[in-house]
Order: sequence, then structure tokens, then C-alpha cells
Amino acid sequence: MSVSSVASANPGRLSLIASRARREPDLAFGLVLVVLVILVVLFPGLFTGQSPLTVNVAKAMQAPSLLHPFGTDDVGRDVLARVVHGARITLSICASALIAAALIGGTLGMVSGFVGGRIDMLLGRLMDVILSFPPIILGVMVTGILGPKTLNLVFALTAIYVPVFFRIARSGAMAEAGLTYVEAARSIGLSEPWILFNHVTRNVLPLILVQCMVLFPLVLQIQSALGFLGLGVQPPTPDWGAILQQGKDTILLAPWMSAFPGLAILITALALMLVGRGLQRRMDRR
Amino acid sequence: MGAYLAKRLAASLVTAILASIVVFLLVRSVPGDVVGQMLGQSSDPVAAKALREFFGLDQPAWRQYLGWLSHVATADFGTSWSRGQPVLGMIGTAVGVTLELALATLAIATLVGVPLGVVAGIYEGRLLDRVIQTFNLLGLAAPVFWIGLMLLVGVSTALEWSPPLMYVAPTESLGENISIMALPVLSLALLQAAAYSQFVRQSVVSAFGQDYVRTAIAKGVPMRTVFFKHLLRNIAIPLITFMGLILIQILGGAVIIESLFALPGLGRLLLSSIETRDYPVLQAGLLVVVVIAMLVNLIVDLCYRVIDPRVRLS
Repeated sequence: MSVSSVASANPGRLSLIASRARREPDLAFGLVLVVLVILVVLFPGLFTGQSPLTVNVAKAMQAPSLLHPFGTDDVGRDVLARVVHGARITLSICASALIAAALIGGTLGMVSGFVGGRIDMLLGRLMDVILSFPPIILGVMVTGILGPKTLNLVFALTAIYVPVFFRIARSGAMAEAGLTYVEAARSIGLSEPWILFNHVTRNVLPLILVQCMVLFPLVLQIQSALGFLGLGVQPPTPDWGAILQQGKDTILLAPWMSAFPGLAILITALALMLVGRGLQRRMDRR
Repeated sequence: MGAYLAKRLAASLVTAILASIVVFLLVRSVPGDVVGQMLGQSSDPVAAKALREFFGLDQPAWRQYLGWLSHVATADFGTSWSRGQPVLGMIGTAVGVTLELALATLAIATLVGVPLGVVAGIYEGRLLDRVIQTFNLLGLAAPVFWIGLMLLVGVSTALEWSPPLMYVAPTESLGENISIMALPVLSLALLQAAAYSQFVRQSVVSAFGQDYVRTAIAKGVPMRTVFFKHLLRNIAIPLITFMGLILIQILGGAVIIESLFALPGLGRLLLSSIETRDYPVLQAGLLVVVVIAMLVNLIVDLCYRVIDPRVRLS
């Protein structure tokens, strides 16, 4: 390939991206932030050279400086390092819970909506019971009673969001069940499970994927709230909610201990909200 | 209306009972109980056995549950295992604090959020709309406890003042009560105002695209009348549903805010009863939360039927 052809190909692609970004600036901004967050999750070493766990009491509660841009905490750990390394822990917990909830809720919802009858009624009732608790209270109840362990936290977050995916998958499958292609598949003798998992799933899946993006910031909020209450990831592991919990008692002496991890949650939630909304708009347009 | 109400109440009752079974099973599914907490590491087996018998913990779970349910049916929630006080009184006091927090938050969030949303909707796409939308996004993205913490820092550095730590009921001293509740209410209200504003903006924007609004504008009805007589009435219905949702969300958020600002509300009572494995308080508290959430939903549905004749007739 000649130099000139590369040069002419690049501006074309770049201007295409630029024009799309101009049309949907929110989505573009959100995507840039999401990429930044992904970089922090994958390569924390790029953003900090310090250890999130090394204690140095002599340097406790130092205000932000060039050496410690986010300051140090009550035992002298670098807050930037804790926030950066906390990203992977916090977000992987949220993502695992979302995936588990989408798999369980999505499957149950599709079966329920497609099969209907008694199964639908039974599952619907069960979901109503879960939904009768406000989300955070359900989270507090499950993590509080089972004990503050990471696995219990994932379980609690999953339990909160299974009914949400259930409802979406159920109504999606119900709508699909009446369409001609399902009837056609039946008429050529395909089995019900085959139709459900090969044909209907394909059309319900986009709904579930978009919902994952839309729910991600909410999961993050609840995950960090439980961490803040001391019911999530336990110290010294750097988790955003847990860092905030440790900073709570010294909030007036060292506000930076709380300000920056909270800002990290805010920026991540903002990024995910912008992208989730952009995706939802596209789905609606279709 | 009567038949509808009866049907709804029956369905709610079934869900509440199922929810209480879930709570009951969950509470008893983990090792460790109140007796272990009371006696600590060096537990004397004889004393432990006697205490378990005293609390009824030696009985099979289903019998414990039925016993509890039959007492609850006569409004007897028992005695707290950790504090020895009647559960009903403890819950009553705590619910009072939480309701004050929730209703004050709802009022402020509505007063701020609805006008913001209306203005954003009217000026759709213009600078004012963009500013309000940015507020909405930031308000929705910020964790509520973080807002609380930052307000605490801001107020204490700017005014050199921090809220008192002991709760005082509004009936004792309204001024002191307000100074305690101000920051908790503000931190919860900011998030909910953003949610409101977002929702109302959407409703206003979509209402402006409707034929009845276009017709009214076309035939020369003044904008003010279009807005207050035509548009607002149609927005009111989804708005009431949303209000119910917000109220339930505030109840959840109260758990976090109460623990941050040391308010003796329902959320903090639940947290401490989980810690001490005080089953009577925990079960009753959770049941109250579920029942409040259901009542809110029911009231929302009833408002719906009163406001919208189409729902009433169907």
C-alpha cells in the first residue's frame, strides 16, 4: 500500500467518526469515558506506579500533592493507587452480577413468556416477591444475613436484578410467540425448545443486552452503597465503596479520601448512562 | 372499585406472606444466632440450650414461623431479643423518623425537579435544556452517600457548622429537628430531583408532539392555557406513578443516609437488627418495609383510576 492511499483512507474514516460524534455528542463522550475506564481496569500500571496496599503510617492523611495526586489515607496508602486498582475489583463484581442476572432472569423470563400457563404464573409470583423489597434493602438483607463476602455481594446484586431481566425477557418472548415465524417453525415440525432457544432467543437477546448497559450504572450504585455500609468487599482490598467507608470517619480531616473514589463512581456511572441511553435510542428508532 | 380494591389487597397479602417466608428462611439459613452472639466464644452448652428454648429456637423452622405469623395477625410483633423492648414500639418510632425523611425529600424533590423538567421540556434542545440535562445526569450518576459526605464537608468548611449527632423529634424542637434533617434530606433530594426532572422533561417533550397540543396551539389558545389546562393534566398521570416509584426509592436510600447521618430510622434499625441477629425486629421491620412499598403502589393505582376516566372504565 502506498503512503498516499493510507493518507487518503485515514481522513475518510476519521471524518466519518467525527460526523457521527457530532450527531450524537452524548454517546461519543460516553464512549470516550468508557474506553478510559476500560483502560484503567485493564492496565492500572499505566495510571499509577504505587501499590494500593503498602501501608506507611508516617505519611498518613497527606493532602493531594504531586507525589500523591489524590492524597494518602489514614494509614498512609496512596489514594490514587487504591482508586485505580479498585476499578477492576468494583466493576468486575458489578459485571459478574449483571451477567448472572441476565442469564438467569433472561432464561426464566423467556421460558415463562413462551410457555405461559402455570409456569408463567408461578415464576411471576416469585419475581413479585423479590420485587416487593426495595433494591437496596434486599441487598442489605442478603449481604447482612449471609455475611460480608464478595461472593455474597455478587449473589445479592444478582438476586436484585433477576426480576428486571425476567420481565423484559418475558414480555419480549410473549410478543415473539405470536409472530408468523414461530408459527411457521411449528408447522414444519420443529420442537418447542428448539424454536425458543434458536429462533426466539435471537430476537430477545438485543433487548437483554441493551438492558445490561442501562442497568450497569444502577448496579454500580448499589454495589458501592453496600460497600459503604461495610457489607461488601472487606478491607484492605481496594473497592470503591469500601474505600469510601474507610474515609467516612475522617471525612472532615481528610475529605480527599472520600472525594476521589466517589468521583470515580460518578464518572463511571455517567459514562455507562450516556452509552446505555445512546444504545436505547438506537433500539427505539429501529 | 370495591371489588378491584379487594382483589388488589388479597394479592398484596399473599405477596407479603411469601416475602415474610423468604425472610424467615434466609434468616435461619446461616450459622450463628442471637444465643451465640449473647454468650460469645466461651458458650456454656447448658446455658445455650436453655436460651434457645427460651427464644423458641429449638423448634422446627415451620413451627417457629407459624407461631410468629399467628402473633403478627393479632398485631403482636413480640419483644426485641437484644433490647428487651416491644418490637412494635421500636418500629413505630423508627418508621416515624424514616417517614419524615422520605416525605420531606419527596416534597423538595418535587418542588425542584418538576419545574426544572418542565422548563427543560419547553426549551428542548436549547442551552437552558442542556444545562438542566447536565444537572440531571450528574445527579443520577452521583452516589447518594457521596453527595451526603460532600455536603457535610462543604457545609463544615463554608459555615464552620456540622449537624448535631443526637436526633430530636420535630415535636420536641422543630428548629433542632430541621438542623439535623437538612443535610440528609438534601442529599437524598438532589438525586430524586434529577430523576424527576429527567422524567418530566421527557413527558413534556412527547406531549408537545401530540395532536391535541398542536391543535390547541394552532387554534390560537394562549400558551399558558395550553400548558396548564391541556398538557399538565395529561402529564399528571404518569407523574403520579413516578412519584410512587420515587417514594419507594427514597425508602431504600434512607438506609444509607440514616447510617451516614446517625438517624434512628427504620434503615438503621434493620442494619443493627441484622448485626445482632435480633430476628423479631428484623422480620417485623422487613415486613413493614414491604407493606409500605405495597401500599404506595396501591395508592398510586387508585389515584390513577380517580384521575383518568379511561382507566376507571376499563
